[in-house]
Amino acid sequence: MTDKIDIKNVAKLAALKLTTEEENKLEKDLSMIIDHFAALSEMNLPDEKISIHPLGTPLDLADDEAIIFLSHEEALSNAPESSDGQFVVPPSLD
Amino acid sequence: MNHYKLSISEINKLFKDKKLKPSELYSEVFERAANTESIIHGHLTLFQDENIKKAADADKRYENGTELGILDGIPIAIKDNINIAGYATTCSSQMLSNYISPYDATVITKLKDEGVMFTGKTNLDEFAMGSSTENSAFGPTKNPWDPSRVPGGSSGGSAAVVSAGSAIASLGSDTGGSIRQPASFCGVVGFKPTYGTVSRFGLVAFASSLDQIGPITNNVEDSKILFNSMKGFDPFDATSGKESKTKQPKLKNAKIGIIKELMEDGISEDAKLEVQKVAKLLESQGHEIVEVSLPLTKMSISIYYLIAPAECSANLSRFDGVRYGNRVAGNTSYEMMENTRAEGFGPEVKKRILLGTYALSAGYYDAFYGQALKARAMMKKEFTETYKEVDYLISPTTPSDPFKFGEKSDNQLEMYMSDLCTIPANLVGMPAISIPTGLSSNGLPLSVQIMSPANTDNTLLEFSQKLESVVSFTSLPEIKGGVS
Repeated sequence: MTDKIDIKNVAKLAALKLTTEEENKLEKDLSMIIDHFAALSEMNLPDEKISIHPLGTPLDLADDEAIIFLSHEEALSNAPESSDGQFVVPPSLD
Repeated sequence: MNHYKLSISEINKLFKDKKLKPSELYSEVFERAANTESIIHGHLTLFQDENIKKAADADKRYENGTELGILDGIPIAIKDNINIAGYATTCSSQMLSNYISPYDATVITKLKDEGVMFTGKTNLDEFAMGSSTENSAFGPTKNPWDPSRVPGGSSGGSAAVVSAGSAIASLGSDTGGSIRQPASFCGVVGFKPTYGTVSRFGLVAFASSLDQIGPITNNVEDSKILFNSMKGFDPFDATSGKESKTKQPKLKNAKIGIIKELMEDGISEDAKLEVQKVAKLLESQGHEIVEVSLPLTKMSISIYYLIAPAECSANLSRFDGVRYGNRVAGNTSYEMMENTRAEGFGPEVKKRILLGTYALSAGYYDAFYGQALKARAMMKKEFTETYKEVDYLISPTTPSDPFKFGEKSDNQLEMYMSDLCTIPANLVGMPAISIPTGLSSNGLPLSVQIMSPANTDNTLLEFSQKLESVVSFTSLPEIKGGVS
């Protein structure tokens, strides 16, 4: 059995507001899944070379040059709120 | 005569011989959609009106002998997590219910260049997270073989519309089996190419080291045509690969390994018998069948459900109510984000974001995510060693035939286990195909999965074509309550 999951803290890290009912259900569901991982966590595995590409292929990065892929208007076309060609968000502090 | 179950090359020949026009096929496919969609709910949106002119243009090209290629005028459905400029890309989520894509995914650009007509966008589990389409915010898709059963997922809509005949083929995305599992449940072919061979640019990311776009089709040849029209390096996708010279598996007198661990507990008798039946057929064709052991496949569910949610928690952080998607008001930016994500995401997506956040958090990273990455690397080694001994690997595609709605939705681990056979190909990056081969004792489709080393996709498809011709699976669903 793993440590109790601090669901409130994990939800805060994930920027997800949960209801009390969701917190209770998700805490139970996640504990069950994490318990299932125990066999993997306890395996003695050698240090392997880790790659974010499953085939280990080097990433082919583009040249560091700006290209216009979307126009300013296209980039803003799905914004919930925009003004003067910019995204509008609520203040960062109360 | 119905044409919606003909192969792409058969349709193309009829077009060229002037025995069928793209506009006639267009009418037939949309009529089929009108007769089946009320039961199946495979398409979220149908592009009927906007295709009238495109079909007429394709008619003219064939009349003038200026057709763009074998896919010109072919109606293909697109999973609703792949962007088509000017159309909604909802990912079956309330979060993106109003999102209109301003650009085409690379695969869409390629298919447009070949004259493909898009029938519409198809249903999926929200953000491609699920195995049944029960997680769609817009209601589930039903299995054409039995509407009381799931079509699989997450590309359930894409598989169901091909099975039902309201598209000639479709595109899906496969992160842990999301093309192959629904293809198996709906009795059609599903192909997940080698990671990186088909650009992911314009596919809404779920787990970037696992996601792959691929075709769902009525036969292997159609998958081959679509794969070859979509593959190729894309400068917009840093993980897309350039063609490399790879030793190809044998097409004749090949050695085929049955994966021992995928023929044990948790796999239904029907599914095991299907693999044994196909193995005997392959033997009769001169191939050698051996049993191989890949012990880490037993761990694949745990490895996957650590890596995929970790990547998902990072990828889905972009849905914050600022640049796109819906927004729910808040007094501060952070409160707005929390409110937006609380309302926009469904229960399964929330669960996976939290699981990934937990696995990546301080104090747990090494024990969970770090360990999963090590196990993934070990698993890749196991497969590399095994492919020194065999040309192909074979297993069931799914542990059972299609399950009923609600049957697994209360048991999350059992639901996750339905991807047991398909996940290894995503973890290792190799190509894998699901081919329908028979019916279960319930009269529902069963398939086998064939895998081969990375970058041997066309050889795997050629080998699968030969197997398909021997298996000769010709059963079609009778859509109850609709017009079959």
